Amino acid sequence: MNRLTLAVAGGRKTQSIVDRCRTAPRGQQILVLTYTQNNQRELVSRLARHRPLEAGVEVQGWFSFLLGHWVRPYLPVRFPGRRLRGLNFDGDPGRFATGESRFLDSDGRAYKLHLAQLALETHQASSSAVLDRLSRIYQEIHIDEVQDLNGYDLEILAELMTSPIELNLVGDVRQALIQTNIRDPKNKQYKGISIKTWFEKQKSRGNLDFFHQTITWRSNQLIADFADTIFDDSWGFGRTVSQNTDVTGHDGIFAISPGHVDEYVARYSPLCVRYNANCCKSLDLPFMNIAIAKGLSVPRVLIGPTAGMIDFLRKGKPIGETPSCSLYVAVTRARFSVAFVAENPARLGLTVWSP
Amino acid sequence: MIDRIVIRGYRRFNNLYLSPNAGLNVIVGDNESGKSTLLEAIALVLTGKVNGRWAREELNPFWFNRAKVTEFFTKYGTLEQVPLPEILIELYLADCDEFQRLRGVHNSQQADCPGVLMRIAPDDEYAEEFEAYLQDAPPSVLPVEFYDVDWKDFGDRFLNQRPKELTASFIDSRTIRSTSGVDYHTREMLSEHLDSKERARISIAHRKSRQQITDSTLTDINERLAAEHSSLHDRPIGLQMDQSSRASWEVGIVPQVDDIPFAMAGQGQQAAIKVALAMSRIRGTSTFILIEEPENHLSHTSLTRLISRIKALAGDDQQLFVTTHSSFVLNRLGVDKLLLLHGDRTTKLADLGEDTASYFRKLAGYDTLRLVLANKLALVEGPSDTIALERAYKDRVGKMPSEDGIDIVSMGGLTFKRALELCACLDRQAVALQDNDGRSPGDIRRAVGHLLVNGKRTMLVSDPASGKTLEPQICSVNDEQVLRRVLRITDQADPQTWMTNNKTEWALRLLDADESITFPDYINEAVDLLR
Repeated sequence: MNRLTLAVAGGRKTQSIVDRCRTAPRGQQILVLTYTQNNQRELVSRLARHRPLEAGVEVQGWFSFLLGHWVRPYLPVRFPGRRLRGLNFDGDPGRFATGESRFLDSDGRAYKLHLAQLALETHQASSSAVLDRLSRIYQEIHIDEVQDLNGYDLEILAELMTSPIELNLVGDVRQALIQTNIRDPKNKQYKGISIKTWFEKQKSRGNLDFFHQTITWRSNQLIADFADTIFDDSWGFGRTVSQNTDVTGHDGIFAISPGHVDEYVARYSPLCVRYNANCCKSLDLPFMNIAIAKGLSVPRVLIGPTAGMIDFLRKGKPIGETPSCSLYVAVTRARFSVAFVAENPARLGLTVWSP
Repeated sequence: MIDRIVIRGYRRFNNLYLSPNAGLNVIVGDNESGKSTLLEAIALVLTGKVNGRWAREELNPFWFNRAKVTEFFTKYGTLEQVPLPEILIELYLADCDEFQRLRGVHNSQQADCPGVLMRIAPDDEYAEEFEAYLQDAPPSVLPVEFYDVDWKDFGDRFLNQRPKELTASFIDSRTIRSTSGVDYHTREMLSEHLDSKERARISIAHRKSRQQITDSTLTDINERLAAEHSSLHDRPIGLQMDQSSRASWEVGIVPQVDDIPFAMAGQGQQAAIKVALAMSRIRGTSTFILIEEPENHLSHTSLTRLISRIKALAGDDQQLFVTTHSSFVLNRLGVDKLLLLHGDRTTKLADLGEDTASYFRKLAGYDTLRLVLANKLALVEGPSDTIALERAYKDRVGKMPSEDGIDIVSMGGLTFKRALELCACLDRQAVALQDNDGRSPGDIRRAVGHLLVNGKRTMLVSDPASGKTLEPQICSVNDEQVLRRVLRITDQADPQTWMTNNKTEWALRLLDADESITFPDYINEAVDLLR
């Protein structure tokens, strides 16, 4: 049965895939997919620690999976005489491009924008040969950070669910910050965190077993409890339970004024993150954008919040899906403490730190 | 397993389309019919290499089909200009799970199946240079430097090393007397015979021992050299053992047989060892084994042993391609496994009944290849019939049948039915001449009627009224005095009795005689059909 595990940040999602690959029997062919290159590198290096593996394990990016297994072997079935000559990452054939020119540029490279649609159409034109071939190569496909998929990717996912391949999806919809194809209009209603609704639909059709993994090994309970407040109960995520019981003397969520930032950084060396380059311009700190910090695990985080985040902290005012995801990612990087920088720290309703 | 082979424009193949047998394939054909070329082409696509070197580096103008090249150059610049010659070799593999990574529709048949191909075509990047070259009235040789070698699977994935699901062993008939000790193919087999841990162990021991020489023996020498040459050069000069990849253990280690190095072993033994190596490769992986003329360098007994090994090799996991010039090899391996190559056409004998195949297997000494390879065929009872037919033909046509490409094959122990069955499977033209032995010609013909085709395969039977065998038949149409004169027998002897008692002798005398005799009708008819 296909499985989806939605885990909280620090829930050892990637490790669960590595563990499976490590213990899989000889002869088992396993494909591990993920979207970002960072995550691919992480998977490869973690697997490398366990080499030699009994099973055959390959790590591939989502796009090279679509290119190599879906489009390339069967492209002539969809567009006679055509060969795939690469990927056009940034190109856009325009809204009105139809037929071949919607999918392939003049050099025969596939537009990333419509790659998943091309993959799906090639599969359909091949009378399902694509999936037959795939399911005779691999017995298991694992997809890490599955929440990154969107648009036509979901149609590909739906096809995979019907195949004999055992599909194991892991992700955290609250971290849906990065998307394979931000402009793909297909399945618009399931973009970002709303992909959860799509998964629920698949579950109700019997295509998927759905699991929630609510234990974090990273953030302490104070941080976990705070992170749980970012999304209201209607999402149905349940309470996060922390296994991190270490106490450092500076634990939990804090507020600090800009004037104390230098001393704070000097004392605690936090990872400094912000929503984007427009936030907190007045602070001279080595900021990293939150989306880039995704996947990291650090002792402490300092957040340069947006005005919306300040409002959320002060009044509990909802801040929309994407900023919520962003805040969730930022907070859950930390193991021990999170500090928000604010002009009037006392108003945030948090413990104010001062030197 | 290879299901289909397509070869276009490679050497003597203009457009070959071949469906080999699943297990064993015994490839026969005349000299120059492309037997070795076929093996070479299969190996080329399976390994990407020719004699251990990448096809791209070895690419040679003479790989291209000569007729196509000539046509291109003669028609170039005229209205009938033809496209530049290209080479395409495709191996279509069985649709089994282990080959799925090689699956797709990128092949000339647009079939959805696993496979590998090699395509040698003009490189678009050099289109202008190529055009300039052709404008310059060049010699009729293709400039291969403007060609590109694409080695791909049917999924359109470029290959830069042998796909791990394909293992090929090439056992060629070349003798090994080179300084490197072992040829490339054998070396490949050897290193695959060892598992990775064993290889690592040898490698470490080998490096250690080399390092030890540097550390011990060479130290004293280096000290002396340093002292002597300090005046010549300001940095010390010394010697050390080569530790580069050129000095890897593979180069230094050779197989041995009974303590004799492989290269010094007999040629027959070398061939036997190569086959043994191919056999003992890791079981369960699908392998392709190509064997070139196993009969070379082998005594009859060694050959028999080798053949039983080859037969043991062919199985569900292994597909064998064996070329041969030997009827013995063919008979033993199974006539039904025959794959006859003539030009771009191939004939399989898969339809031959199992009982006929096993019949030939028992009759291993029979020269089956003569039946298979003959241009025009006459099947006769024995040696005297052969000679009689030859003489009859010469008397009428003025030359020997062999000069017209007619092969007269005597049945020996073979029955006409088996021989004709083989001919029918090969769709071969044949005339059979049979003694009536007291039976009616109609009955004899009826027994093989399903194998006969008007104008193609005919069975001629002597007239029972004129005697059961050839000798009475001859005597019935010739005057006794003429026979005595021609066959140089005494007046007292009865020609028929003497001929019956001296079966081959009379025929040989007839062949040498200046004067000839009259032949029975069925022989004359045969001459008419053959000429």
